[in-house]
Amino acid sequence: MLRNYFKIAWRNLIKRKVFTTINILGLAIGFSSSVLIYLFISHHLSFDTFHEDSDKIYRVTTEEDMGQIHRLATAPPGFAKVFREEFDYAHKVAKIVRQTNLIIDVPKANGTAKFKQDLSFVEADFFKIFNFPLVDGSHNVDISHPNTALITAQKALELFGQKDVVGETFVLNNDKTIKITGVLKDVPKTTFLNTEIFISFQNVKAIGNFMASESWGGITSNLQCFISLKPKQDIAAIETALLELPKKYRPRAKNKHIYRLQPLSDIHFNTDYGGLSPTFLIIFGVIGFFLISIASINFINISTAQAFYRSKEIGVRKVLGSLKQHLFWQFLVETFLISVLAAIIGIVVTALVLPAFNNLFELELSLKSLFEFKFIAFFSVLLGIVSLLAGSYPGILIARIAPVLALKGKLNAHDTGGAFTRKVLVVTQFSIAIILIVATLVISKQITYAVNGDLGFEKASVVMFDIPPKTKQTTLNTLKARLKNTTGIQDVSSCFGSPGAAENNWGITVKYNNRPENEAFSTTLKAGDIEYLKLFKIPVIAGRSFFNDDKTKEILVNEKFVKNLGLTSVEDVLGKSLQLQGQNTTIVGVFKNFHNQKFTKEIEATIITPHHKWYREIAVKLNYANTKTTLAQIDDIWHETFPNDIFEYRFLDERVAEQYETEQQYLALSKLFSGLAIFIGCLGIYGLILFFINQRIKEIGVRKILGSSIKSILTLFSIDFIKLILIAGVIATPIAWYVMEQWLQGYVYRTQLSWRPFAIAILSTLLLTLVTISYQTIKAAMANPIKSLRTE
Amino acid sequence: MILQLKDLFKWVNSGGQRIFLLNDIDFTVNEGEFISIMGPSGSGKTTLLNVIGMLDNFNEGEYTFLEESVHTLKEKHRAKLYKEYIGFVFQSYHLIDELTVYENIETPLLYKNYKSSERKAMVADMLDRFNIVGKKELFPSQLSGGQQQLVGIARALVSNPKLILADEPTGNLNSTQSEEIMELFKTLNRQGVTIIQVTHSESNAAYGSRTLHLKDGVIVNTH
Ligand SMILES: Nc1ncnc2c1ncn2[C@@H]1O[C@H](COP(=O)(O)OP(=O)(O)OP(=O)(O)O)[C@@H](O)[C@H]1O
Ligand SMILES: [Mg+2]
Repeated sequence: MLRNYFKIAWRNLIKRKVFTTINILGLAIGFSSSVLIYLFISHHLSFDTFHEDSDKIYRVTTEEDMGQIHRLATAPPGFAKVFREEFDYAHKVAKIVRQTNLIIDVPKANGTAKFKQDLSFVEADFFKIFNFPLVDGSHNVDISHPNTALITAQKALELFGQKDVVGETFVLNNDKTIKITGVLKDVPKTTFLNTEIFISFQNVKAIGNFMASESWGGITSNLQCFISLKPKQDIAAIETALLELPKKYRPRAKNKHIYRLQPLSDIHFNTDYGGLSPTFLIIFGVIGFFLISIASINFINISTAQAFYRSKEIGVRKVLGSLKQHLFWQFLVETFLISVLAAIIGIVVTALVLPAFNNLFELELSLKSLFEFKFIAFFSVLLGIVSLLAGSYPGILIARIAPVLALKGKLNAHDTGGAFTRKVLVVTQFSIAIILIVATLVISKQITYAVNGDLGFEKASVVMFDIPPKTKQTTLNTLKARLKNTTGIQDVSSCFGSPGAAENNWGITVKYNNRPENEAFSTTLKAGDIEYLKLFKIPVIAGRSFFNDDKTKEILVNEKFVKNLGLTSVEDVLGKSLQLQGQNTTIVGVFKNFHNQKFTKEIEATIITPHHKWYREIAVKLNYANTKTTLAQIDDIWHETFPNDIFEYRFLDERVAEQYETEQQYLALSKLFSGLAIFIGCLGIYGLILFFINQRIKEIGVRKILGSSIKSILTLFSIDFIKLILIAGVIATPIAWYVMEQWLQGYVYRTQLSWRPFAIAILSTLLLTLVTISYQTIKAAMANPIKSLRTE
Repeated sequence: MILQLKDLFKWVNSGGQRIFLLNDIDFTVNEGEFISIMGPSGSGKTTLLNVIGMLDNFNEGEYTFLEESVHTLKEKHRAKLYKEYIGFVFQSYHLIDELTVYENIETPLLYKNYKSSERKAMVADMLDRFNIVGKKELFPSQLSGGQQQLVGIARALVSNPKLILADEPTGNLNSTQSEEIMELFKTLNRQGVTIIQVTHSESNAAYGSRTLHLKDGVIVNTH
């Protein structure tokens, strides 16, 4: 019986090629999207699940109370030792210090090769907590002695040109020679850890005494402390015990610390500590569901419409003794066959687009995961559900057809039912499409607003690059002077850091006008020389800019700072003293607020002061002409100044845009998926129109088929579909409005929702539908009527 | 008694007027009968046969099939009756376009859950009997009207029904073929199969044990 079902199903598909193509194409897109989304979500859910007892691993975090609570995924350098020695909770405790852009010299046959690398300084126990084995699978790492290092096989190949590099050496920061004692298996993409070179923690002094110390004086986000707990520990109790530590080790500290334990599984999904928002995955999942639904709706619509074609067959079968369930199953088999074909095409499409998808989300999803049991299970279930959902309703309709009407040929599409349902489903499809289009437009508008809008500072043609550590002031000044004299360069400023560089944020507390207590709000400190304001075109609105570098202790504050002090006039702060980092300075001017951080964050109190010790970057404002030659010249000058370093630069506007990486991903996604949604929707309309025309042609009879009558039929249909899309617009508008309003709430500075994206979404949907319909008109007008009668 | 129609009316309303398609039909069929229904075109023969075959409903009166009142029958039960008792031969053949000759004949057997080997034998027997072995792989659209009619008859007979309802089974056949079919019906009838056929031909009607004359939905006389 089943074989018989398949045989008939196959013949039906072949016979109605156009409808079959529409169904398969739509479902294939749906499947392909679902597979990608599955891969994406499962990639994120699999983060750090490969460690032994990963549920016992925690990261120490610090809540720093500076007026508002700052959450940082770090602990004071002294924390690890104390936790290890004073408590009995931990199995292992290990510190890791992450450092970016360090210079590494690798010996080569002809001299040495220089690389700029991100790396980590780790305590040996790190490898006892985490499952990052050596290439031989063992965990016998040797990294407790000074000047030892581990490296992943991949990195070894990149730096040394071979994987077996045990015993090889490299020079760190033009200083210490480090010996590689082990090669690690490549670190999976699905881990919080993003370094591939590990150097003994004994060497951490090279980048700062503070991080190497056992100090409790402060925290730095470069240092992280991991713990693997002994079995059956009460986290709340441990956190309570940790409350005592600040009292004991930092009794005089003004900013209060609270230490917490963050589960390893939370790291990837906690936005407080730079994790990915789980909402992102949920939205992804919902969109996947939407797409497969839209595709299934197409299928349902076309199938119910087609029940008309099938009615005679159904009638005859009933008279030959078929029960309803026979017919139902027969139709389900047909659906299943279509689904399977669509699934195969969907998987092939997935394989083809995977590289682009990986590129978009900086992933390394591989097709290999398609052979995993988990995926096969997921996909089988998906296939089953889609077949069942898409097939059952038309199946029921078909099974319900009364035989006598069918046999008498008195049946019309109306009798096969589903006309109303069909309308509801079309409205659903287009509501979803309109919502997605609105989302695309609003997200795009907000990103444009945030990236291209007025941030309060100049970011066009500004090039940023790092100053090597321990650079002398004289060297820096000479460099700046040489750059300044280069044609094509307008301004040069040394700073820490540029506006719009939130990743280099330096938050401090200050004491204003000799008040007894530090101010309760956190202040962003920007170090910048006298060119800073000029280069970034930040206007001074009261007082003046500082006269000279470092000579006088002068400082500038922003409007927000004045507001936070509770003062109304910006003039009030001029000449007043400000204590910061143990220094006394005088406020000489107030500058206009600028957006240092993303638009999700409120503008903070900010101060700018010249201090050469704090400079880490150079900003260069280029004239518009000949960027390339100018950059080459900067490169030359740089190498003459720092022969042992590597020159890498970034444009400031790129840096600002990078803050919106997640938003850009949202945008790319909503563009792609709204495009697909509207495409599948139009495909469905195309199918329905084609069906209605064929049916009408049959009704009218051969002689009356003239171009003009088809035109009038199509006009009728156009009006029908325009009505449906308008209804969809009415339904989608409040939903999209609500959702996008919610999304915009995440931004302190945001565009206003206007009627425009809604109008654009509805009109473009209408337009596309009309194009689809008129394409059909043209085709029908040109087609040979007799022929169109035969091929149904 | 296999079925009985009592004071049965069927009508349609058209333009405020009630048009009777079947008018006060009283009609009993006993097991083993071979009945011919005759009458001019449009007199309601197909309608009557459809009502008897439970393809169509009626408006008034009573219809009992194998001791059961038809209008209380559930569809499921009806399907069971089709499956177990009734073979239909339609005036307009009603072959399934998507199936070959072989598959069309095989379909009722599928619903009767015959084993594959049994089906093969039974279909082969039919193909043989109707001399259409050479056509078994063809689709209905590739056959002449007469050939289609033969396939329709073969399909109705293949599952050995106890009651055959045939609507002008030989309308498209030549006289030799027509006679062969009638002989076949006669043989089946002798083996105990009840047959009700609609026909325009007196000679075909003569094969039956009694003939029913229909005019404007009314039974005018029986003999
Ligand atoms: N659903 C219906 N609505 C209106 N009239 C109908 C309907 N079904 C049948 N009729 C009419 O009932 C009459 C009887 O039709 P029926 O098909 O039974 O005739 P027939 O005796 O089989 O004729 P023929 O010999 O041509 O096959 C016809 O006039 C037909 O038009
Ligand atoms: Mg008739």
